[in-house]
Amino acid sequence: MDTGNQSQKGVLENLRKQLALAVRSIQWSYAIFWSISAKQPGALEWGCGYYNGDIKTRKTVQAVDVNADQMGLQRSDQLRELYESLSLGETSPQPKRPTAALSPEDLTDAEWYFLVCMSFVFNIGQGLPGQTLTRNETVWLRNAHRADTKVFSRSLLAKSASIQTVVCFPHLGGVIELGTTELVSEDLNLIQHIKTSFLGSPSAVVPKIPDDGSNGTSDNNDICEVLDHANVPEDNLDQLLDCQEMDVCSPDNSSDDFPENLLRDESHLVDGVDGEAPPMQNRQFKNDSMSNNSMNSSDCVSQTYGNPETSIRPSDGKAADSHTHGLQKFNQQKNDSSGFQGNDIHYQVVLSSLLKSSHQLVLGPYCRNRNRESSFLNWKDRLVSSRVPQTATPQRLLKKVLFEVARMHENCRLESGKQNSKKDDVSRPDADEIDRNHVLSERKRREKLNERFMILGSLVPSGGKVDKVSILDHTIEYLKELERKVEELESTRQSKPHDAVERTSDNYGPNKNKRKACETDKMAAESKRARLRDSSTDSITVSIADKDVLIEMRCSWRECVLLEVMEAVTKLHLDSQTVQSSNIDGILSVSIKAKCKGLKGASAGLIRQALQKVIRK
Amino acid sequence: MDNSTQESHPRPENVVTFDSPYQIYAMAISAANRRRIAVGSFIEELNNRVDILSFSEDSSSLNSIPSLSFDHPYPPTKLLFHPSPSAPRNLLASSGDFLRLWEIKDASIDPVSTLNNSKSSEYSAPLTSFDWNEAEPRRIGTSSIDTTCTIWDIEKGVVETQLIAHDKEVYDIAWGEAGVFASVSADGSVRIFDLRDKEHSTIIYESPTPDTPLLRLAWNKQDLRYMATTLMDSNKIVILDIRSPTMPVAELERHNASVNAIAWAPQSCRHICSAGDDGQALLWELPTVAGPNGIDPMSMYSAGAEVNQLQWSAAQPDWIAIAFGNKMQMLKV
Repeated sequence: MDTGNQSQKGVLENLRKQLALAVRSIQWSYAIFWSISAKQPGALEWGCGYYNGDIKTRKTVQAVDVNADQMGLQRSDQLRELYESLSLGETSPQPKRPTAALSPEDLTDAEWYFLVCMSFVFNIGQGLPGQTLTRNETVWLRNAHRADTKVFSRSLLAKSASIQTVVCFPHLGGVIELGTTELVSEDLNLIQHIKTSFLGSPSAVVPKIPDDGSNGTSDNNDICEVLDHANVPEDNLDQLLDCQEMDVCSPDNSSDDFPENLLRDESHLVDGVDGEAPPMQNRQFKNDSMSNNSMNSSDCVSQTYGNPETSIRPSDGKAADSHTHGLQKFNQQKNDSSGFQGNDIHYQVVLSSLLKSSHQLVLGPYCRNRNRESSFLNWKDRLVSSRVPQTATPQRLLKKVLFEVARMHENCRLESGKQNSKKDDVSRPDADEIDRNHVLSERKRREKLNERFMILGSLVPSGGKVDKVSILDHTIEYLKELERKVEELESTRQSKPHDAVERTSDNYGPNKNKRKACETDKMAAESKRARLRDSSTDSITVSIADKDVLIEMRCSWRECVLLEVMEAVTKLHLDSQTVQSSNIDGILSVSIKAKCKGLKGASAGLIRQALQKVIRK
Repeated sequence: MDNSTQESHPRPENVVTFDSPYQIYAMAISAANRRRIAVGSFIEELNNRVDILSFSEDSSSLNSIPSLSFDHPYPPTKLLFHPSPSAPRNLLASSGDFLRLWEIKDASIDPVSTLNNSKSSEYSAPLTSFDWNEAEPRRIGTSSIDTTCTIWDIEKGVVETQLIAHDKEVYDIAWGEAGVFASVSADGSVRIFDLRDKEHSTIIYESPTPDTPLLRLAWNKQDLRYMATTLMDSNKIVILDIRSPTMPVAELERHNASVNAIAWAPQSCRHICSAGDDGQALLWELPTVAGPNGIDPMSMYSAGAEVNQLQWSAAQPDWIAIAFGNKMQMLKV
């Protein structure tokens, strides 16, 4: 393969010289030949190039005056060397470079652009060179520095280098690209001139590149292809320039555009039908978007038809500068408005990446077409004023689903437990019956608990909160408070004869507990609020000595209270032997001496409790 | 849909509507047969139904298949088809009181099993949501109002594990990998659980005002770092990065009313769709760097009534299903 390579190199070298001459003659900034890559089938990569633009510093070994040719070639060589060393430098340690070699800071922006171009590889149909090759036509891009990156992927680079015009045309199986920092209007004669004068054959026989567009969805396949590569890194879309060698993520130019921005000019497009279109255009038309807001497209890229047999048809002179004319219906319209269109094309890319399908997306509302457009409107087009009236409950259905469906099920279980009917479609084993009963009892228990909590909540000053935790908290606080109060009152009432209140008769347990038990009783008694009696009047003292029980009671008098007391005492298996009672000022004082009947006597606590019940009735 | 004259009406073939006799909530798109969509009714009674609809893009129609319709006790809180297109049995799962599995046959739908975790002395609390593990399709995780999440092995019909996930009711659950899931709860937290380490969970977000329940959760299946969640009574969608807990990556705040449903794009890692009470379904693209005014959606759709449900399935990546009121619509992306 050496000979192959050598001949290839020879060809390239030759071509380079030709390019050098050509670009110098027209005084453009650079010429690049993109050749078909040996590594990637169908892809275009750097073949050779000639740089004719501004130079910042000259580094030459000898201070010999060389002619322009030599210098130019040398410069291009140096740039190539620099590129190679830079790219090598990433993988292997920097080889020692001659001092006369260029380093990055020596380069002008345009040179840097040229250098970076060396790293680009264009897949089939990708980028300006790719499209040129696919379409086999000359592509003239004005305002390249402002072009959309989907059209001209190096537009940002071009911007930094002030490259304003780029032209690509197919040649010798690859693509020749010429660029300049000036804005040059389209002049295909120039290209023709270059071809004939410098590049040899007047009618360059461009080898027919197998047309991917044999089926209608080819372009979208390209999109898919391109984007499949591109989608793997997630932020590829945004970092076009960061990678050296990467698949530039740009959909085929024929990607369809977003409908809602298809506006006024559409009608123009539809109207101006050019009947002369060669068949190739029809294919394109099918795939092309009906264009979009081409208001700003004084910078459109127009394509002419590189028909190999005939000479290049001079394009409609106005085409380059005006937007919608008949011919241009069949041309690709590249719009580069500074942000407005970018969204749409961007949206296209986004959609393609979303869908990864070969769906024809959009052809525009004016175009009666079966193809689907999105149901969604562009956000920017929305009516800001439209407002949906606020619903009473936000997220009503969602909340119902989350909160109430559960309740529905629980109620159902409760009922089905009661009625014991088959409410569920799925037949269940008997174990579920048991479940239901347990569910039922569980529910009852919970309800009882809740009820008690409610009562407690109503008794205790709780400031409106009704959740269980708060109720308990407040109860605790309230209890403590009342304890304190009682202590206070105790200390003030020490002299009074009602000490009996403090005394508990329980012989068991330390005094402290007794005191507290009594106080608890008292507070419980208070909290009931059913009784209006002052607690200090109620007292029960029970002393037990062996089988002898002494009960001393004081309570408010009411009818039959004494009778009830006696009944209670009897129920407690106590044989009353002596009863003394007196009723002073509505206060009943009773003193009972009794004996425990039977073997087991009631405890003092029991007696007290029973008597308390009586009193509290 | 009455829009003002300025708004261009979506073309009829891009929005396909199904009118149901009852209100719809739960929806699912079949992976095995992408034309099949299951819709569950929301009637506040015992008798609810799940219908299977057949969607045809070419004829822009959505029709119910009468033979494939079944009763469901009380509204299903969620419906999901088996995630694998080549599953041996065409299964549909529904959650409500229990997790139920149904097999869709040619002419009928038969119940397969009811997965009931109650032991004889307890009852199992109703389920708010569930998720079918795509990597491990025998696993379904359910979330319940009793603060637990239960992981089922549906092939064996047994519980793999039950975890007390939160302090309050769990409202949604989503699988990340085969053994990792996340859940959101009324306690306002998003927690990630790893089945290999059941003792510990990671809180990756807590709602800013304490105890604001988080209602919905969606895990980005294309980029497992990202999750989205919605809060109660809030128009925000919070995007979280699991690598940076507690700090949301983005808050999408362009809905005019509370958000009801969210769904990540099935084939793109940076797109998400949301729908809310303002009747809008918004399509968002998450940029790598957000602008100073927040993130705007890419596009929107106005349904005209509160949109309660949103489904975006990998089986039909170019269509989004929404439900509002008694209608269900398929929207072209």
